[in-house]
Amino acid sequence: MFRYIIRRIFQMIPTVFGVIVITFILFNIVGGSPAAMTLGKNISPKALEEYDEQRGFNKPLLLGHWSATRAYEDTTFVRNAGPWRQVEGVTYTAPQRREPGLITLAPGKDYALPLAFKLKPQRTYQWIIKYRLRSGTAAFNTEQGHQPGDVAGTKPALAGVSGFECQTRLLTTNSAWQTVKITFTAGADPTALKLTLHIEDGVLEICALKLRRQNANWFDTQFVFYLSQIARLDFGKSNFSNQRVAQMLKDGIGPSLCLTVPIFIVELVVAVSIALLCAFFRNTFVDRLIVVIAVVLMSVNYLVWIIFGQYVLGYRWGWFPLWGFESWTFLLLPVLIGVVSGLGENVRFYRTIMLDEMYRDYVRTAFAKGVSRPGVLFKHVLKNGMIPILTNVVIAIPFLYTGSLLLEGFFGIPGLGNMGINAVNYSDVDVIRAIVLIGSILYVIANLMTDLCYALFDPRVKIG
Amino acid sequence: MNHSITESLNRSISSSLWGDAWRQLCRDRIAVASFWIIVIYLAMALYGEGVFWYFHWQDMAPPYQQTNLREEYLAPSVFRHPFAMIPRVNPGAVSSPAIDYRGQPAARSVAARFRVGLRTLAHHPLGTDNLGRDVFERTVQGARIAFQVGIITSCIAIPIGVILGCLAGYFGGKTDDFIVWLYSTFSSIPGLLFILAIAMVVGKGLLGVYLGIGLTTWVNLCRLIRGEVMKHKTRPYVQAAHALGLGPFRIMFRHILPNVFHIVIITFSLRFPAAISTEVFMSFLGIGVQGEPSWGIMISNARLRLWQGVWWEMTFVTAAIFFIVLAFNLLGDALRDALDPRLRTSER
Repeated sequence: MFRYIIRRIFQMIPTVFGVIVITFILFNIVGGSPAAMTLGKNISPKALEEYDEQRGFNKPLLLGHWSATRAYEDTTFVRNAGPWRQVEGVTYTAPQRREPGLITLAPGKDYALPLAFKLKPQRTYQWIIKYRLRSGTAAFNTEQGHQPGDVAGTKPALAGVSGFECQTRLLTTNSAWQTVKITFTAGADPTALKLTLHIEDGVLEICALKLRRQNANWFDTQFVFYLSQIARLDFGKSNFSNQRVAQMLKDGIGPSLCLTVPIFIVELVVAVSIALLCAFFRNTFVDRLIVVIAVVLMSVNYLVWIIFGQYVLGYRWGWFPLWGFESWTFLLLPVLIGVVSGLGENVRFYRTIMLDEMYRDYVRTAFAKGVSRPGVLFKHVLKNGMIPILTNVVIAIPFLYTGSLLLEGFFGIPGLGNMGINAVNYSDVDVIRAIVLIGSILYVIANLMTDLCYALFDPRVKIG
Repeated sequence: MNHSITESLNRSISSSLWGDAWRQLCRDRIAVASFWIIVIYLAMALYGEGVFWYFHWQDMAPPYQQTNLREEYLAPSVFRHPFAMIPRVNPGAVSSPAIDYRGQPAARSVAARFRVGLRTLAHHPLGTDNLGRDVFERTVQGARIAFQVGIITSCIAIPIGVILGCLAGYFGGKTDDFIVWLYSTFSSIPGLLFILAIAMVVGKGLLGVYLGIGLTTWVNLCRLIRGEVMKHKTRPYVQAAHALGLGPFRIMFRHILPNVFHIVIITFSLRFPAAISTEVFMSFLGIGVQGEPSWGIMISNARLRLWQGVWWEMTFVTAAIFFIVLAFNLLGDALRDALDPRLRTSER
């Protein structure tokens, strides 16, 4: 038994990992940084970068040493000169048939890299330039004063030079496009750092420019950041209310359970009773009528239950309070609506289970030896039907935690469902991610629990 | 006794599983009725599609978007003119001629009167909303969106489920482990929230609805197909095909798949209403359809007006959703009874 439990727990790990991977793919890879969506359109790149920094979005996705920075967005000059538009001495050429779009820098000048904001101190950056030098010399300076130590040659892939004050000379008369990577480290005082392209003579053409920031190590990535967040049970901050998500979850789970647990219990009792009734009257008018009613109830849209329930029972007839979360009376109407809206499906489900049992041999035996109909139903069928019912119940428990998405919104119950809906509306990634993740992990645990219960109570399940 | 045996023998000779199922469906009156309801909705959806594209190409505001503030909050025509079909006698005049509902002299002939009455009833038959837009036209557009969502999400979910299920069931081993891992992962994520999250990431609009519903609802089908394919793999006909040297994909998709295809049909008819309901839910929340009348958007608009006593918009949308979902549910049940012999014995 112990070994079975351990094995089963180990089987849980891949699923939990899968859930983490899927949420990661969904929110980090497909979704990307929600910075622009959250902060609005006219926001400085610096603010966006800080937002990303806080939430780990400025790191590489899975593995990598270099990551993009908003200080200088990648430019390829397809439509215009991009950030170089304002720089004096730069002319833009639109893409031709064979030629990519490019900018041409006139000789005899220093060109500062048009950065959106100052680079961070003590960090290493890499400047990747795809260029063509018709003739002459140009040099890349990280500081205004020309320091010697040129590294010149016909091979442009000269790896650049590290260090605060350095110069890389681009020297080639090859008319083909060359790429050079220049690595440099910003000093303690980033304001003193000046990045310039110095062109002595010749014409320098650039068709693509990138700036990359070096990360602490290869594993300093979004995925690792996400995993460490989960390990610390820190789910980040809500964009909208700026609260900690963990705190929001803690506040929201109480009201959610207040709503979902009564719905769940009442629903279970009512549905099982009606299912038993069906089994009792199977193949009679009552059974068929109940099935028809169940299908009809199933087909009414959930929204409609809520809207008409609130309108008729709450507003027109005034039986229940309409909106709020002050005392238990406020829960009556949502619980009622929740029960009724799920009733059809559940009755059908439990009826199938009961009828499946009704055709078993032991039922025939019980009837044959003279057990009364109620006796068979309650003593034999219900007991044996308990196994699938319990499975269904245990599996449904984790879904109680997410609350009821719509009921909470309509009746003003400050639970997780309401929170989830708001988060979707405001694209609050961290909140949605946390709810989805915790819900899935609870589900996996519930699955484990069912299997363990099976192993405990049903000797037919193989152990070992 | 003898007669019934020969009859059943005849039938078993003359019909396949499909023929048998078809006959059983045709005998089931509820299934036939549901089928015709679905056909009517389909016709409505196609008409809506036609209207949509016609006005799209003409670059005109379609009738369901035309606002007419003089005709806002019109009740359904039957309620506006209950006696439109009956000529009324003017009580003021001594020997009055028959007048119609507008107080004008009614047409003489019965046919002409009938025509006037019909025209009256056909004017905003289901009333108008707060901007004077026709509720009927909008409901038809809602049917269009609902069918689009149902069909396109099926086109996403069913191939995924079928292909993965076949691969897992047929190859077993590592492939099976991986696919089982994949679907158990998907199934452990809370469904509705997962759909909403996908829609949120993809962006508001129909694409988010399609992807959200399509990418999350293949799990059940995959599980069922995998189980069936595993069973069929040991059957003699598959072994014979294998012995003939046929490749695994040919065996899977040419030989096994037709034998498990009834599961696909049942799943399709049962997931269709679920997809419609989810779309309504998403559009209601404002992350579904944008700028077009879908049922969810209509409900969300009508909800506020219900409190002012404008009941018709809400009622007709509700009825529209109700009947299509009901029809699909009933047809799905009938299909399951007809096509899946195992369930047939246990439920009846």
